[in-house]
Amino acid sequence: MSHGRRQKPKNLLMILMLSPYLLLLFFFGVLPLIMAIFNVPTKSPSNPNGGWHVIKIVLHDFRLVPAAWHVLGFMALFVPLMIFFVVAMSLMLDTDTAPWKKWVRLAYIVPACISGSVAVLLWYVLLEPTLSPFKGVMHFFGITQASQIWKTSNLTYILVFMAFLSLAGQWILIQFGSLQSISGEILEAARVDGCTQFQLATKIKLPLIRKYVIYMGVLVFAGGLQIFVEPQLLNSSVYHGIAQQWSFDQLSYSLAFDNGNFGEASALSLMLLVPSLIGALLVIFKTDMFEDVNFKSPKKLAKEAKKREAAAA
Amino acid sequence: MLVVATAALLGASLVTPVATQAAIPSITIWVDSPRLPGAQLYAQIMKGKVNVNVQLHAQGDLVAKVQLFNTVKKGWPDVVFGPPNDVAFLKNPLVNDALQLDALQSPAIWKAFGNGNNWCKLNGHYYCVKNDLAQTVLWYNKTLMTQFGYKVPTTMAEFAAIGADVAKNHPGYSLGSLGDQAGYSSFLEPSQCPLNVAKSDTVVVINSKDSHCTRVATLLQPLIDSGVIDVRSPFDAGYIKDVGQAGKWLMNIGPSWWGQFVLRPASSYNVPAGQVATANMPTWPGESKAYSGEYGGGIYTVSPHSKYPKEALAFAMFMVGDARNLVSVKNPDGSHGAPTYPAYGPGNKIWVQAVAKDAYYAQSIVPALDTQAQLIWGGTKPVRYDANGAWGASWDTEIKQSKDLQKAIDAYATYTSNAATQVGYAVVKK
Repeated sequence: MSHGRRQKPKNLLMILMLSPYLLLLFFFGVLPLIMAIFNVPTKSPSNPNGGWHVIKIVLHDFRLVPAAWHVLGFMALFVPLMIFFVVAMSLMLDTDTAPWKKWVRLAYIVPACISGSVAVLLWYVLLEPTLSPFKGVMHFFGITQASQIWKTSNLTYILVFMAFLSLAGQWILIQFGSLQSISGEILEAARVDGCTQFQLATKIKLPLIRKYVIYMGVLVFAGGLQIFVEPQLLNSSVYHGIAQQWSFDQLSYSLAFDNGNFGEASALSLMLLVPSLIGALLVIFKTDMFEDVNFKSPKKLAKEAKKREAAAA
Repeated sequence: MLVVATAALLGASLVTPVATQAAIPSITIWVDSPRLPGAQLYAQIMKGKVNVNVQLHAQGDLVAKVQLFNTVKKGWPDVVFGPPNDVAFLKNPLVNDALQLDALQSPAIWKAFGNGNNWCKLNGHYYCVKNDLAQTVLWYNKTLMTQFGYKVPTTMAEFAAIGADVAKNHPGYSLGSLGDQAGYSSFLEPSQCPLNVAKSDTVVVINSKDSHCTRVATLLQPLIDSGVIDVRSPFDAGYIKDVGQAGKWLMNIGPSWWGQFVLRPASSYNVPAGQVATANMPTWPGESKAYSGEYGGGIYTVSPHSKYPKEALAFAMFMVGDARNLVSVKNPDGSHGAPTYPAYGPGNKIWVQAVAKDAYYAQSIVPALDTQAQLIWGGTKPVRYDANGAWGASWDTEIKQSKDLQKAIDAYATYTSNAATQVGYAVVKK
């Protein structure tokens, strides 16, 4: 960046590289966002004169608090479970002794082929005591009726189960990939110094893939907050009403397309944007997630220089 | 936000332009798959007179899409088949997608509906055409009733007495179930329990403590406790296996389509041929009329944006009144005719002739269906909230958990009171 002469072509290249993303961001991120903002104060059955107090109406919706509890409960289980399990499994997969590593990796990716919508049907059959191939086991534990399993109060656990099993596999492979990027020299050095396999995993490898783990955490968090397909399908085609406006996104969808209330739906959607946006900003500015080792902005360099000076003085 | 916005974009791009031809009127119609053969037949018949563009859509698609059409100001189909509650939503001036139909055809035709189109009559005007009636009747297993020595009950007290005797002498046999909308259409609605009684577009009566509700709880609770009446959904895989497939179905109060779609199919209750019969609804104590509930029954709505509303309405009338749809049209499963009890009097007369001859039933099921068709309780009205989804969201959870009927009625009332308030209704007790 210091050579003014080279700056122009570099910028052009940067714009070129960014443009596909920027286009998508504009059409499917920024534009809908602007549309949503304009939609909030429009007239609707619950807000016949229009206006911004629709936000207050949404906050008082009797389904909002239950939806919040459902989604928060889901995330409180789902996010830590994913992170812990995925990290543990990928670290175990990376111990280079396993001769059938290739097959184990394949085994992890298979459940990921069963995506959300298919998983709903699969788990309905598996957990329905009349149809399940495991009905013998269920009957042994006294579960003979669908209502003992399929009820709204159990839904959090069932959905965590569903989402975990369909997502964990691919994340294990991604994290396994990030472990592959660790330099062999470092690992060799650690071994020479007498590091056990366990220490190698927890003291050397884990800190080195920390960024990828945080990254996974962010994506899993965002995905969890937006849970929609599984409860919606369960509610509309398996047990009608079991997950009626169970999650935030379902409530937003229902406000828009059942009640025809785009103002409230937009207001709720914008509210949902806030925690995700705060999370993203925190990750960008308060962690070194996006810090480039080889590049620091001039401002940052000056800041660090000042710090050093102050320390020296 | 993403859900709403991408759906908005998708919706806008999927709008099919209506074919424009100067001389011939053209209409776009939306039907679900059971109505598709009839609609396609209509398009064929009208060739050269009206261009009919038939599109297959799930029931209820319109309510989801009409907002988008309103936003982009185009795309509205001319006539749509949908679930009964839609008319309340579509009639709302803010949505404005249900045309007042009174003047589009002669008063004699409206009159011929009898009480069949009462659902669509709001504030004295017609806003939709009822396709079929789903009036409840008493469905019973004639063979088992004779074998056990029971008389077909004509009052609810007799119904309960049989229930008590079944529990004692024939345990395992069932008098029906309460899950989903079955509890409402079979018992609460015939008893006139005010749970969705819309008095106007903005006032609805919801009162679970009304004596018409509490008497249902009092009468049925012992039958629930003894298991004669099940708290599961009639479509629950476990109930189908334990009762239907096990030959333990004795009787239940169910809608007009019960025999064909629930009792008969081998994958469902699989009741053998020659056993099923219908009877009039049992009366509740102190009532002179034996009201029916209603479980389903679709409607046709015409859009005010239609350029050819008369042609649009003519399609709906073909579906409910023309023998070519009611009895002749070939369905993909090999059967013929419309699947459910037509709401339109003259059309109905054609349809029942074929059903009366159906050898599956022990005797003609038609007399009871006809009697009850004129006795659907008029208290339940279309409302602008999902009154049907609320059964699963509140009632089912409560009844399965506590097996306490009054608590379940209360839970439903609480839920719908909230839902009604949310969309701008005032909820009153009377």
